[in-house]
Amino acid sequence: MPLHPAAQQMIRKVEELSGRPVHVAEDADLKVMAVITTARGSAPAHFLRYRPGTRAVDYLVAYQLGFLVRLFSCPAEGRWDVVSSAAEQEAGVRVMGLDEYPRDFAAPMVGQLVVQLRSYSVGARVDDWIWNQLPEFREQQEQAVRTQLDEGGRALSPEIRKRLPKALVDANSIMNAAYAVHWGGLLKDSRFQIPFKALGYEAKAAELLRALDEIPDEPDADRSLISRWAECLGLTGAFHFQPHILT
Amino acid sequence: MTNPPREVQLALDEFDRSQLPEAQRALAGDAFREAVREHLAEQFAGQGGGAEVVVTADRIIIRWSDSTEAKTLAERGVDFLKAGDYEKGIGMLRVALQRNPADADALFNLAMALSDLGKLEEAVELLGRLLADHPSHAHGWVALGVAQARIGRDEDAVESLTMAVSLNPDDGHVRKNLGAILSRCGSNAEALVHLQAAARLLPTDPQCWFNLAATLEETGKPDEADEAYVKVLALDRNGPMGEMAEQGRSRIAEQSFRGRGGFRPDAMSYCEGALERFKDMPLAEVQKITFEIAMLGSRGLDVNDPAEQYTLRSIPGKFSGLHLLCIEYVGFQIIDPKVDIGFDLSAEYAVARGMFGK
Repeated sequence: MPLHPAAQQMIRKVEELSGRPVHVAEDADLKVMAVITTARGSAPAHFLRYRPGTRAVDYLVAYQLGFLVRLFSCPAEGRWDVVSSAAEQEAGVRVMGLDEYPRDFAAPMVGQLVVQLRSYSVGARVDDWIWNQLPEFREQQEQAVRTQLDEGGRALSPEIRKRLPKALVDANSIMNAAYAVHWGGLLKDSRFQIPFKALGYEAKAAELLRALDEIPDEPDADRSLISRWAECLGLTGAFHFQPHILT
Repeated sequence: MTNPPREVQLALDEFDRSQLPEAQRALAGDAFREAVREHLAEQFAGQGGGAEVVVTADRIIIRWSDSTEAKTLAERGVDFLKAGDYEKGIGMLRVALQRNPADADALFNLAMALSDLGKLEEAVELLGRLLADHPSHAHGWVALGVAQARIGRDEDAVESLTMAVSLNPDDGHVRKNLGAILSRCGSNAEALVHLQAAARLLPTDPQCWFNLAATLEETGKPDEADEAYVKVLALDRNGPMGEMAEQGRSRIAEQSFRGRGGFRPDAMSYCEGALERFKDMPLAEVQKITFEIAMLGSRGLDVNDPAEQYTLRSIPGKFSGLHLLCIEYVGFQIIDPKVDIGFDLSAEYAVARGMFGK
């Protein structure tokens, strides 16, 4: 099925801004709903893959491309990637209370948390833009968001939380709480945030959302936004910004 | 957009006590759980849709939906049971009872599920609780009676099912169960009242007719019993009820046959004729004739009607039912004397053998 014209327009925008083509394809092996691999070095294109059967394809394509629009809207010297060195990963393992866990489990957990840090903070900007600028995707967006809210709620179950260290669980839950509050406002449905509040995450979530309000919604401010969130979550030493190099 | 119901579970010991009014923060046990439940229920109040908060010994279960007709825990438990997931269904119903020990739906459905799993004592206990509060719960009395009967408490079962009948006299299934238990207890006259009502209310249920037939046979009403057995055969000839009905009819036929006199010289004469017929006959031929009669007999042979109404492919001529039965009896004595054809002709056969060849 062809993508919605608005999604195709976003593809063209990313191609214009980055100078590289965007290739969209189904991938049955994908564990998440959609993922994008940015063109760099010998990779000739941005590859956007989505899981077959995903109903909100247009929105997911727009969401993934939204990150690239923000990245390539910045001048070349203002484009940054979020990466972790081995030492930073170790620092993340310690601060998240994962010292006692096997390294092949602990390091990827920190890696995922850093990815979540960027995708939730900058993702809020992208989502807001889609919500306001692409009303034709509202239904798909709401559906995808509610799925995400459900997953965040399920992650609060005692069975999941007791298996992981509190620091890690808290960092994840605070971001999920912020997501629930943020979307509670847009969807006019604050029920999703009640469980997070019950576990005491309200204040920290508000801190993250305050950063969204206080930091300008400009792509070149995304680095500041990520840093502020990292500070709130105790993840400051677990990553650094590295200039994004396309070629 | 219609959204599915949502459910979130939290560990109770992780609840942030600062959410509660200061006076409630130090509470413990049931008081703490109730405070948490009330607090969370208030959070959902006015948000639209329906919400339910349950606080158990160690966790908080929050469920909400966009519909104001959110299903209760008991209804959700029943949904699980209907889907065959007894573990989840029973778990959900127990939670419903923790929240409200007098929840009639939860009590009834949990008892039914436990009864299905053979946990009858607990089922009886739950139904007792249900009926103490809801003495007009006809299905509750039925379930209680059935469970009591299954653990051998027939007298209690009769009492419970009698209550059910008084509440709903037109429930054929209750009548059938009550009649069967009364019959088992030897109260045949009383049993017949209910079994006849059951057969009237459930005219296509072979079990009903069989229970009625068996009790009529037991109470010495062979003609009525035979009629009821015929009904069973019409409804379930090839099923287990049909097989038992055939046996019943054979018993009645034999009783009627013997009722006309102890020793039957006509049968002795038929046996002697059969011995003559089978003399020097190859075994395979004997089997062929005998099995053909046995097959015919499976559809019913009227041994009390002297009319020669039956024919065989393996032997020319016409035969009465008794005549064929005697040939069959003698045939099996040759093939395998251990076979019981359901009709005792041993006395006639013994005399025939004694006379044969003299």
